[in-house]
Amino acid sequence: MYWVSVITEAGIFAILALGLDVIWGWGGDFDLAFYGYLALGSYLTFVLTIGKPTPPVQYILGFHLPVLLSILLAVVVVVGLAAVIGAIALRNLRDIYFAVTTLGAVSALYLLVENYTPLFDGYNGVYGLINPGQTALNLTYNGYRIVFLGVVLVLLVLAYLLVQRLSRSPFGRMLRAVREDERAAAAYGRPVFGAKYRAYLFGAALAGLTGGLFAIFISAFNPSAWTPQELLVIYAAILVGGRGNPRGVILGVFVVYIGFIELTRYLPSPASRPDFAPAARQILIGLMIILMLRFRPEGLFRERPGLDRGPVPPAPAAAPASQRAAALPGLTSEERARREGDASKAARRRAGKTERVGKTERVGKTE
Amino acid sequence: MSALLEIENLTKSFGGVHAVRSCTFSVPEGQVTGLIGPNGAGKSTVVDLVSGFGQPDSGSVTFAGQPLAGKRPDVISRLGLIRTFQTPREWRNLTVMDNVLLARRRFASESLWRSLTRARRIRREEEADRAAVRDILERFQLAELRNELAVRLSGGQKRLLEFARIAAAEARLIILDEPMGGVNPVLGARIGEAVRQFAAEGRAVVVVEHNLPFIENTCHQVVVMDLGEVIAQGPFSGLRDNPRVVDAYLGMDQSHE
Amino acid sequence: MTTFLVSIGIGLSTAAILSLSAVAFTLEYAVSRIANFAHGEFLTIGAYAAYSGQTIFHQNVAAAAVIAAAAGAAAGLALNFGLIEQFRGRSAITVFIATLGVAIIVENVLIIIYGAANVTYGFGQGKLHHVGPFLWTTSDIEVIISALAVAGIIYLLLQRTRFGKAVRAISQDRALAQVSGIPARRIIMQTWALAGAVAGFAGFVLADTVGTFGPTLGFGFLLLTITATVAGGLGRPYATFGGALIVGLAIQIAGTYTSSAYQLVFAFLLLVLLMLFRPNGVFVRRSAVAVRA
Repeated sequence: MYWVSVITEAGIFAILALGLDVIWGWGGDFDLAFYGYLALGSYLTFVLTIGKPTPPVQYILGFHLPVLLSILLAVVVVVGLAAVIGAIALRNLRDIYFAVTTLGAVSALYLLVENYTPLFDGYNGVYGLINPGQTALNLTYNGYRIVFLGVVLVLLVLAYLLVQRLSRSPFGRMLRAVREDERAAAAYGRPVFGAKYRAYLFGAALAGLTGGLFAIFISAFNPSAWTPQELLVIYAAILVGGRGNPRGVILGVFVVYIGFIELTRYLPSPASRPDFAPAARQILIGLMIILMLRFRPEGLFRERPGLDRGPVPPAPAAAPASQRAAALPGLTSEERARREGDASKAARRRAGKTERVGKTERVGKTE
Repeated sequence: MSALLEIENLTKSFGGVHAVRSCTFSVPEGQVTGLIGPNGAGKSTVVDLVSGFGQPDSGSVTFAGQPLAGKRPDVISRLGLIRTFQTPREWRNLTVMDNVLLARRRFASESLWRSLTRARRIRREEEADRAAVRDILERFQLAELRNELAVRLSGGQKRLLEFARIAAAEARLIILDEPMGGVNPVLGARIGEAVRQFAAEGRAVVVVEHNLPFIENTCHQVVVMDLGEVIAQGPFSGLRDNPRVVDAYLGMDQSHE
Repeated sequence: MTTFLVSIGIGLSTAAILSLSAVAFTLEYAVSRIANFAHGEFLTIGAYAAYSGQTIFHQNVAAAAVIAAAAGAAAGLALNFGLIEQFRGRSAITVFIATLGVAIIVENVLIIIYGAANVTYGFGQGKLHHVGPFLWTTSDIEVIISALAVAGIIYLLLQRTRFGKAVRAISQDRALAQVSGIPARRIIMQTWALAGAVAGFAGFVLADTVGTFGPTLGFGFLLLTITATVAGGLGRPYATFGGALIVGLAIQIAGTYTSSAYQLVFAFLLLVLLMLFRPNGVFVRRSAVAVRA
């Protein structure tokens, strides 16, 4: 059952990371408000499902909606919040300035939630969403947990397919172009803000969904669950797995969560210092971020652009390979040699001999 | 018949310095118009103002009868205007094919919703574009590099990529900002060819350049600027005898590479 | 009216601490062109160093302050050498994320060493004094005086010494400065040591003012520091004092009329507004200014 819990949590964060990767990996925006969307999604799922608060507990709303509907409504509200923050921060700010502004916005919200108790009961937070629908589905506690794991994994697969499809689509291509060079993108008619904004809302929607899942998973939620540190773990996971690569991102999350949790589980925590293990874990996360950024910023799995597999039109007749290569401007002699090699490879390919396209390898079926 | 691009009394200052002052000229379709002048003449500023990367203080720019005042650069681009920058600005971590495909500008398919729901149909429709782009890449001898990341291309190849993008964009007005910067003669000849081809296709081309032989070989008419003002317009041959032009270029070698 | 003036008084005290932290942050930015998200840790390190030093120097506030500054200076040097240099040539946002990583590491190392629970100093400086219309504790007064003193020292350093001239040159154009014979690397190191020292000292006075503190002391103060720096203008040390004053007073006044718990909320909203409307023309780096599209 321990493993059920660990994998469920990893699965939830994998979905979260997919959303964040759209904003950061494809869009290039280092958003520090992202965890706030998960938090709001969680809070709302609670207060829409667990009914009216019994004093001294207090929180807003307090309906008794079916949990699925609550999550859906939560996502809608989260996207609304992201629409506001995104509109403010994305229009004119980039990089550090964007990051700091989002941090400011989410910190303001954090403090508001923490101090204005009528919202979500401040420090105490909300609790009581225990396995919604368990009795209706006639499951034991453990049985529900296993089913929930299944649900999370299914959702993860769906999210992956969705994100992968988007990645290969014209939208994904355009978003990356905007990330690579905004001026050029604008010069070719792309709405820079519009593209980033849509990506931002999409990511936030996934965060809201994850918030709902998280609410069911841990059955309680309070401010200590959404400190900036939590968000950095997700960023670390994306860094490790591979920015802009959905498969890599999921792998990164599983590596970081399961790998790390397992690694540090066996770290001794001296009785006098119960904070040792969690602190050690955070130190490793910090080290990982720095090391990945320094030595392998693209992550374990590079972002793989879609490859074109169409037929290359026949080269203009007459000129033999060497002459054509020499006419190409700006080539060093080694490049020329490589190109000649490619040209003959291309000729062989046209004759139907090899499967390779240019010099780029193809792994798996579709790219 | 009014020209495709009409610039009238364009003025722009930066902190007290007049970068552009009452600039007026027009750009007809099917021709190559050169925009020359010594450094600091205001040529790049004019390009920025026309393409939306800056707002004029006063004056007007009309493109195909539409005023461009206050429009964002992406909006102006969608009206059919493509411009380049002084350094090739390829999308580095995208493939050559993607770089040129993006120039096809099928905006409708780039909506997030449609990308998700009509993926299959979009992919089918994209095949036609891909075939056209492969042809264009072949023209510029980049076809075999089409799956390479743009960042891996050599400087000359990046210039060619830029022209492939422009060719793919099928724009009505093409503004080239110093396309010959740091270009060797072989590549330069290819660029000249491409520019003449664009004009032959009925497009309007504006070339901002310092390379006067290139201007002489490709341009039907030339606009000369100095210190923010237009000081002469007309065919290149007339400029040599124009005292104001000679003055402005005092000391500049005519056979400058 | 008295309450208002007392608030102003507290605001001044807050502004004093803020200005120390902010001027250090802005010096770091000025010479290295990065937003150092580990900056808060300099404060925390300074505070804890003074705490540890208490076992040796007991009630000696001056000694504690010196220890705090020294620890901060060491931290500044370590960060510059261990991180900034390693990431030379990388984009500003990459270095920024790396400093975030450092912040996590330092904070948790401190948790391991000192535990996560709060600690206190034993200096006993809570005695209130009436200074004109203001009501200040002993530590408040010390803070304000030291802030003014540091401001003066920094002014002298920047304007009257060769070191200061070099710093100003580097902050404008590092390449040009190097070509003019300025030993950029050394000057930058020294600036980081200076900034670290000021930050460490700021951490000590901050901890002294709030009474009890934990490993998150500096990080919590970081966003406020950034707000003050932005208000004054990134990379402009003198203006930063003005920015700190504005922010310190603003949040104190806001807190008086709503509730002290919301002071920071107000501060962060202020930060967002500043970023949007008054990045003060300091944010002129291309990366920050998005294309209007």
